[in-house]
Amino acid sequence: MKLGITLFVLLAALPLAVRSDFVLTIFIFTFIYGILAVTFDLIFGFTGQLSMFHPAVFGVSAYSTHLLVVHAGLPFWLATLPSAAGAVLLAVVVGSICFKFRLKTFYFAVVTLAFAEMIRLIVLNWNSVTNGTLGLVVSGRPTFWWPGAGWVAVRGPVAWYYVTLVALAVTVLVCVRVLHSWMGRCFAAIRLNEDLARTLGVDVFRYKLLSFAVGSALASFAGGLYGYYTGYIDPGYLGINQSMEILAMVLLGGQGTLAGPIVGSLILTGLPHVIDLRGELRAMLYGAILIFAILVMPRGIVGSLVAWRARRAA
Amino acid sequence: MTQLVLGQVLNGAIIGAMYGIIALGITLTFGITGIVNFALGEFMMIGAYATYALAERGLPYPVAVVPACLIAAAAGYLSNKAFFRFTRNNLVNGLLVSIGLISIFESAALLLWTATPLEMSYVLPGAIRLGDVGLPKMKLVVFGVIVVVIVGTYVALARTWLGRAAFAYAQNPEAAQLMGVHTPRLETAVMLYSTGLAGLGGALYASLYSLEPAMGGVYVLKGMEAAILGGIGSLMGSLWGGVILGIIEAVGSIFLPTAFRDAYGLAVLVAILLFRPSGLFGSE
Repeated sequence: MKLGITLFVLLAALPLAVRSDFVLTIFIFTFIYGILAVTFDLIFGFTGQLSMFHPAVFGVSAYSTHLLVVHAGLPFWLATLPSAAGAVLLAVVVGSICFKFRLKTFYFAVVTLAFAEMIRLIVLNWNSVTNGTLGLVVSGRPTFWWPGAGWVAVRGPVAWYYVTLVALAVTVLVCVRVLHSWMGRCFAAIRLNEDLARTLGVDVFRYKLLSFAVGSALASFAGGLYGYYTGYIDPGYLGINQSMEILAMVLLGGQGTLAGPIVGSLILTGLPHVIDLRGELRAMLYGAILIFAILVMPRGIVGSLVAWRARRAA
Repeated sequence: MTQLVLGQVLNGAIIGAMYGIIALGITLTFGITGIVNFALGEFMMIGAYATYALAERGLPYPVAVVPACLIAAAAGYLSNKAFFRFTRNNLVNGLLVSIGLISIFESAALLLWTATPLEMSYVLPGAIRLGDVGLPKMKLVVFGVIVVVIVGTYVALARTWLGRAAFAYAQNPEAAQLMGVHTPRLETAVMLYSTGLAGLGGALYASLYSLEPAMGGVYVLKGMEAAILGGIGSLMGSLWGGVILGIIEAVGSIFLPTAFRDAYGLAVLVAILLFRPSGLFGSE
């Protein structure tokens, strides 16, 4: 916790020292993907359910936030709330089907992947609303109230840096609160031994669903922010590649930790900016990192560091 | 209308048999070695592109199929030696390693052949007419080959020493070892067979449809749906699951919008899971 606050303060002070747009852009993407990776880790690393549904939540909420702003005239921040509610609804429907049939590990992954594909198809083909493959251009900007200046729009890298940093911090904070509550203990019980957890009176169905819903609700904010930051939304947001990237981030950084996904996100979003790679080579690199992380470093960077420190202390 | 429906049923049965081949490979590998090879679709893609490349260099199609299968099997052997054998009895790790492999193979295919769909020249043109229904000859040939392969697999598993050794190993690895089953060799054999079979599926696919680097990912997803539909662990069930899934998709897209054809199979899958959680042919 202390380390987390120190890191937050350091990151908050960063734009004072570094004014380079290049560096700030990497961090903005890191923070948005960090939200996705942390919430994915809540479901995968902490509850043990390998969901492939995250990109669907991310993409759908990117669309729904934008469409609510354009068609219902809501301000950005207000539009994220119904989007989050929509994400929860999707998660509850898909989650109930999967968990009711006790689809576990591999089968759960495959069925959630199939549902994600189904949603991607709907988004891709619903031309009148989503404009199909061409995608939508997002021209609006989130605004917020600043003392003395009234309502100002988020503009430029520094403003976006702070907005996304705070969003990530809030996400991490919510995750910490959830994980340190009775919910977190039920999640861990389910991850470690589902049958035993059921025997001990944990309502496995309810807590799996809860983890899935909370993770999806928080991930929906990442979708809204990403669409508005990049100014563009297309069905590629819901693609399987997104699942891969999020997975690679969590596994490289360390599953079952909160810092791990953010470290993974920083490395994997920073890497393509530092070394310029073609799209195909980048996908290849992600694949190689994924295999490397699983077979050689199953605990990830943060997990290995923690284990190393524990060994040294002992 | 009859023409349309019958044509689509044949189409669906062929595509479905390919799903079935993938599903069979996944079930076989998992049941016998405890390894999840979710990247099986990529070996199909390798088989398909190898056939295309060989045929382009002047090899006649029936000759090109054989090295294509061998190339796919060799890729499978190497993947097993390098990665898969470390993921035994860990479904999630198997899946994650497979996802990594899918991304590597797919990107390699994109670099070598780009994303433009490729079409092979007609291997066997013409169609057989049955009344007012025309059935393309090549499709019938492919269907025949698949049936032969399926029957062969069944006989090999039920009748040969290696097949019975495989069943014994799946039931109790240690007892099988004590009875003289050389387990590493068995594992290699299963891996070679499943990836080679996927390569054959790809080679047959190449003669009928256009090729894209992303085809492997689609097929493995369908193969998995087929395996769940048929009942996990049931070899013949996974084949039937594939054929049923293929026909549902093909016939469904006559009456309903084609853009959503991937969704029809899934809807049926969910409905079947509702009433028979162990799949159509599953025990329990």
